[in-house]
Amino acid sequence: MRGLFRWSRKWWPGLIPLAVLWCLAAWYDTVPLEQELAASTAAALKSDVLDKTRIAVAGRDVTFSADAFSEEGRRSALTSVEGVPGVRLVNDNTRLVPEAKPYVWTAQRDVVRVTLSGSTPLPAIKARLQEAAKAALNGVEVVDHTGFARGAPARFDAAVLLLIEQVARLKEGKVTLSDKSVSLAGMARELGGREAIWASLRNLPEGYSVAANDIAAPPYVFQANKDPVGGTLTLNGHVPDNKVHAALVEAAQRKFFGEKVTDNLKASIGAPKGFADAVTRALGALSRLSTGSLEVADREVKLSGDALFDGAANQIRQSLAKDLPEGWKAKAEISVKPAAAPVDASVCQRLFSEVLGQGHIRFESGSATINPDSAGLLDRLAEIALRCPAAAIEIVGHTDGDGDAAANQALSEARAKAVADYLVKAGLPADRFKTSGQGSSVPVADNGTEEGKAKNRRIDFLVR
Amino acid sequence: MTAFLTFHWGWLTGALLLGLAMGWISVVQHGEGLSKKTAQVIALVLVIVVGVAVSRVVPGRPGYWLDLGLVMFAAYLIGCAIGSALRDRLVARQIAAGRIPVRSDPPKSAS
Repeated sequence: MRGLFRWSRKWWPGLIPLAVLWCLAAWYDTVPLEQELAASTAAALKSDVLDKTRIAVAGRDVTFSADAFSEEGRRSALTSVEGVPGVRLVNDNTRLVPEAKPYVWTAQRDVVRVTLSGSTPLPAIKARLQEAAKAALNGVEVVDHTGFARGAPARFDAAVLLLIEQVARLKEGKVTLSDKSVSLAGMARELGGREAIWASLRNLPEGYSVAANDIAAPPYVFQANKDPVGGTLTLNGHVPDNKVHAALVEAAQRKFFGEKVTDNLKASIGAPKGFADAVTRALGALSRLSTGSLEVADREVKLSGDALFDGAANQIRQSLAKDLPEGWKAKAEISVKPAAAPVDASVCQRLFSEVLGQGHIRFESGSATINPDSAGLLDRLAEIALRCPAAAIEIVGHTDGDGDAAANQALSEARAKAVADYLVKAGLPADRFKTSGQGSSVPVADNGTEEGKAKNRRIDFLVR
Repeated sequence: MTAFLTFHWGWLTGALLLGLAMGWISVVQHGEGLSKKTAQVIALVLVIVVGVAVSRVVPGRPGYWLDLGLVMFAAYLIGCAIGSALRDRLVARQIAAGRIPVRSDPPKSAS
């Protein structure tokens, strides 16, 4: 041992190369050591649930910053870092994520995207909610601005998953969950969406309540467009059920004698009261236009287009507002079609025959009251009569063979007179018309069949 | 510490070999080496430096370099001790075999 002390006094010259070796070791190993420690630390924290984790290594000292979701989680993460082999000191910059009071989560939907904001309690829940939103909103961009906060109410995720389903039913709007209180505002995407949302909200977890539900239903829209060039009447929008659907299409076919009806209607709940009646009457007004469109949105009827002559335009404006059920509003933007060129009597006769070949004037059963469905046809006849102002016109009524001859005679005369009165009311001079009735004496088809009888019940226009 | 030694094994081996060489030489080297007082001062400084290192007062990279230096110095000292012991045993064996004469310590200077 004494020798060792003696020799050790001569060991100092080796310190010079040792110092050189030390410098080289420090030069080459510092950065790789720091990288290895950073990688080991990150690996050690893999199982810890943290937010905003940052690891900075200087030498063998680790500066560890993170937001933990609980005190236990924070301590566990710190222990994990301290246990990494090679770490000398851990500078603890960890903290708990802030607590939110009240605990608010919102989803805002506009035309192109859904924005999630507010708080979520854990990364796993945040990811699950985001996935659920993407799945429910199928193709709509989901922007997630939610942050983390402690203090979420029990079953927060179940409540939010249910609310995300409701967001998918909105066209636009906002859904807010504040603690256990739900508020909804906006517009449902489809008819019946508002009712579906109400029904779903009954499945909220226990303790959750709806503070405000201001979801509006989209307008209940029915549209009809009369295109004289294509000879079509196109029906679009909604009807309450199949029965009303069939009735409206049938009414359209009766009123629009010269047009092919294209039916694009869909059955949907949410129709305003008096829908079928209002639409039927509005279709009657549209049938009197040369070209035009009808839009019914909730309880507002908007009719626009060209009437065949001045008198018809005034009648349509006045009758539309008057005929609609109570609580309905009408807006008529009716102009008058430019008058067609005058023609001579023979052309007028041909035009009457053509129009009456396409449709016939309807009367109430067994009476001389003109059915409102024939208003469009009568306007067409009036327009033709206006084109030959010098010609006298004889209106002749006919009936089928049913009933006794005297009654048929009287009915045919009364019906011819009713038609003449209509034309006079439309603005034509009364002295141009002469009316007569032929009863069932001049049939044009076999009175033995229903089809034949229908053809025999007619009004003829004879231009003199 | 195991991780530290494992990571730096190359440099530590270098320090150990350097120590072995120095220890090997020091046995047969002429001269007195450091004075006792200087050795004591160095020992004192060393104790303080080790104390600083153990108490982890120096932060970050300088702290790491200090640890590295001390561990390399320790490896060097171990190398020196082993080298000196081996050389001493070899010299003793050669003296016993009469291949080299017994060397008396040089006379101390009058001053």
